[in-house]
Amino acid sequence: MNPDTFLQLDRVIHEKGRLAILSMLAASPELSFTELRDALTMTDGNLTTHIRTLQQAGYLSVTKSFQNNRPLTTCSLTCAGRKAFANYINLLEQIIRQTKGE
Amino acid sequence: MQSALMESNWAAEHLQVIRTLMERSALYRRALAPIMIFNGVVGLAAAALGWTLKVGSPRVFIFFWAGVGVVALAGSFLLVRRQALKESEPFWSPPTRRVTQALLPPLVAGLMISVVVLVRAGLVAGQHDNLAAVLWLPLIWVVLYGCAFHAAGFFMPRGMRMFGWAFIIGGCGLFAAGVPAWARPLDYAHGVMGCFFGGLHLAYGVYLYFTEHRRNAT
Repeated sequence: MNPDTFLQLDRVIHEKGRLAILSMLAASPELSFTELRDALTMTDGNLTTHIRTLQQAGYLSVTKSFQNNRPLTTCSLTCAGRKAFANYINLLEQIIRQTKGE
Repeated sequence: MQSALMESNWAAEHLQVIRTLMERSALYRRALAPIMIFNGVVGLAAAALGWTLKVGSPRVFIFFWAGVGVVALAGSFLLVRRQALKESEPFWSPPTRRVTQALLPPLVAGLMISVVVLVRAGLVAGQHDNLAAVLWLPLIWVVLYGCAFHAAGFFMPRGMRMFGWAFIIGGCGLFAAGVPAWARPLDYAHGVMGCFFGGLHLAYGVYLYFTEHRRNAT
C-alpha cells in the first residue's frame, strides 16, 4: 500500500467524533445542536469542542437563532467541509483498492 | 501484508460507519410494515362499511372518507410515536420532518379540492353534476396520494417511490377508463377507495413485513 495515501488523510476529520458529525451533516442540509447531540450520544461539552474545531478548519458553519423564544444553534457543512469530506472518503476507498490490488 | 490487510479492514469499517451515520441522518427508518398494514385494514374495513351502509350522498361520502383519513392518520401517528419511544429516539427527527414536508403539498391540495367539491355538493345536493364530481374525487385523491408518497420516497426506502407510482399510474388509468356503465356510482367510488387505500396498503405492508424482517435479521 502506498503510505502517502494514508498520510493524506485529513487530521481534522480523522477523529471519530468529528467524522461522525461530518457524516451526519453530509446527508442533511442542516442539523440542530440538540439533534446532533442526541443522534451521536455526545455530551454538550464534547460536541461543542468538536464543532469549534471543525468551524476553525472552515468545514462547518454555525448559525444561532431563536425558535419559540429559545436559542437554536444549527450546523451545516460549508463548501470546503463538503469537499474535505468527499476527499476523505475517496482516500478511504483508495486505501481499500490499493490493499486489494496488492 | 498483514498490516495492509488491517489498513483495508479499518478503511472498510470506517466507510461502513460513515454510511450508517449518513443513512441515520437522511433516511426515515421507522418500520413501515405495521403502519401500512394498519392503513390497509382501515381502508378495506371502511370501504366494506361504506358499501354495506350505502353511504350514498356526495356530502356524506366526503365526510365518511375524511373521517377514515383522520382515523388512519391518528393510528399512523401513534404507531410512529411508539416506535420512536421504543428506540429512545426523538419523534420529530430530521428525517420525519423531511418526510412530512414532502407529503404535505399534495395532501393539502387533495384537502382543498375536497373542500371545494364538498361545498358545491352541499349547495345543490343530489344533482347529477355533483355526483359526477364526487366520482372523480377518489381518483384525484389516489393520484395526489401517490405524488405525496413518491416525493416522500426520496427520504425513505426506495420501494416507497414505487408504491407512489402504483397510485399515480392506477389513478390515471382509472381516469382514462372512466366509470364503467354497469357500476353504481358511489359503490364504484367506495370500491376505488377500498382497492387503493385498503388493498394496496395491505399488500405493500405484507411485503414489507417479510422484507423488513429479513433486512433486520441480516
